[in-house]
Amino acid sequence: MKIQYQQHTKDISQYSELSLIQRSDKTDVAFVAYGLFVLSLVFISYLLGLFGWLPFDPDDMDMDLMMALPGASGHILGTDFLGRDILTRLILGIQAYFLPGLLAIVVALGLGTFMGVLSGYRGGKAEAVITYINNVMDSLPRLVLILLVVAAFKPDIYIIMLVVGLTNAPAVASLVKDKITFLKQKNFLEASVALGLSTRTIIVKHILWYNCRTLLIIQATLGMAEAILIETSLSYLGFGVQEPIPSWGNMIQAGANYMMRGDFWPSTAPALAILFTVLGFHLLGDGLNNILEGKRRK
Amino acid sequence: MSTTPLIKIEDLHTFFYSKAKQAFIRAVDGISMEVPRGKTLGIVGESGSGKSITMMSVLGLINAGPGVIRGKVTYDNGTINKNLLDGLERFVDVHEESGTVMHVEKDLAGWQKHSEELMKDIRGNEISIIFQNPKAAFNPFTVIGDQIAEMVMLHTDIKDPQAAKEKAIYWLERVKMDTPEVRYHNYPGALSGGMAQRAMVAMALASEPSLLIADEPTTGLDATIQAKVLELLAELKEELGITIMIISHDIGVISALSDYVAVMYGGTVLEYGKAEDVLSTKYDNKHPYAKALLASIPSLENIEKSGGRLQAIDGEVLDTIKVVECCKFSARCNRITDAVKDKCHNNQPPLQDIGGGHKIRCWLYQ
Repeated sequence: MKIQYQQHTKDISQYSELSLIQRSDKTDVAFVAYGLFVLSLVFISYLLGLFGWLPFDPDDMDMDLMMALPGASGHILGTDFLGRDILTRLILGIQAYFLPGLLAIVVALGLGTFMGVLSGYRGGKAEAVITYINNVMDSLPRLVLILLVVAAFKPDIYIIMLVVGLTNAPAVASLVKDKITFLKQKNFLEASVALGLSTRTIIVKHILWYNCRTLLIIQATLGMAEAILIETSLSYLGFGVQEPIPSWGNMIQAGANYMMRGDFWPSTAPALAILFTVLGFHLLGDGLNNILEGKRRK
Repeated sequence: MSTTPLIKIEDLHTFFYSKAKQAFIRAVDGISMEVPRGKTLGIVGESGSGKSITMMSVLGLINAGPGVIRGKVTYDNGTINKNLLDGLERFVDVHEESGTVMHVEKDLAGWQKHSEELMKDIRGNEISIIFQNPKAAFNPFTVIGDQIAEMVMLHTDIKDPQAAKEKAIYWLERVKMDTPEVRYHNYPGALSGGMAQRAMVAMALASEPSLLIADEPTTGLDATIQAKVLELLAELKEELGITIMIISHDIGVISALSDYVAVMYGGTVLEYGKAEDVLSTKYDNKHPYAKALLASIPSLENIEKSGGRLQAIDGEVLDTIKVVECCKFSARCNRITDAVKDKCHNNQPPLQDIGGGHKIRCWLYQ
């Protein structure tokens, strides 16, 4: 039988769907744009810090110009209580978050996905054991757990982020598991088996790639924000990144001593940096969620 | 073309162990049937009679923890000839004590691995399946065309994505979808029930199988769409020479398509034979259950015969946990005569050939 489907090819353009951005809510697009802006700033800062392209030497103390406000003699964001350039230290502070944060994300997503697939797809004993682990993890206050680990080893940011990743994994696992449970009642997984797809293809392509990728991307953006917040909390307690290596957390903590004297700027600058960065990651996750998931709802 | 049947089911038992009742639920209890090449076998029966479990057993989809399968399913297409249940009983240990099943031990991982091994070149490649709820059988988050193209690339010689896409569009055209190029880019949720069923048929056929199993293919579709889907299946069967096993509780659906019909009840086959024998309303040599089923079809003739009311079958479907020695239908049968009464209530009748391959499991015809 001769098939004449060429005749339709012209029509496709008429039916072609609007692009993702055109169909989305303008607020969501703005959120994502801001989030991407923050993400790129973080990445650029990481590169600048990595190659040492900094406006000032981060450890260079200017005793004549301590706790200067922004704009004072070339210091765009002013100086801290030892007369060190705040902008330089903010840029360098990203070093404390970027790779360790990625480690936390990779551990959380990798382990969480694995556990989620195991408990959702296999079920049975695996599910029971993983649910149990999740419950135990949930009942432990995370900060206390991290402090325990820090006390047992040393206040190394990579070890801290490893713990953050491990404690985040159960949340990711339950998200992936819920997704698989949802898909299972649609019985397309059974259909895939019946039509001869291998288990690997079903899990990697049909479950993770088609159905969980948005969820995982969003979890990754939130993971970065999480990493920054955890480090800040720990630094405030004195267990985070240690001086003289700058991190946003220990900058706030060091500057806070001078707050009462009216020198608010040295701790406010890193606090604002944290505010806008964490906000950026959260808005990115939120906007992506609405744009990518909303598209499917239509 | 050889004359051996494409698929031959011999003495298939599929049990599920119920821990609470310490007994087996005998979902399929010793059925035998065969599907000749290029023909269609219809399996009809009430809900709970074991139709779908039969299909799932054939495809090796019984993985549920305590599922136990015994019997033989021979698949023979000339090049592949094997028993699809070969050696599965090795993985199950049943501990029985004075008639009660105390404990069933199953090596699930081993079972699954062995089953995968047996089914490797069968599932999709040789046997395809159409599900009851076509929309749910597609991955909801990707377009149907890509899913059909995936089947093409997995099961046929076409490995080039562009060629596979064209082939997928060809199949969509073949199942009479309007504007197949546009439909290719539709998500499953965007299709109506009838269209989703057509797309499902396209996906099942994309792997060019020898046997197509249709599990309640028209349930949930409205009557006109039902007729169209059946028409489509009949046409494809004619054109592609494909063998079909169709499962339905609707005797009308079965009669539209089948060459052979098996009537199932309580996990056993009560009547088996050519469609014209089993479904004919003229002859009286029929199992009481099959007769009652035919009488309950809402047709003008049936209504007139029974005085303006549609005839129903009294009673309920048999509890499949009990091991019964009597005829499984005896509790609901309205044709028990004094001559056979004792036998009906005490012995299970054998499946007796009453001539021309028409088999009936009833003491009235022994």
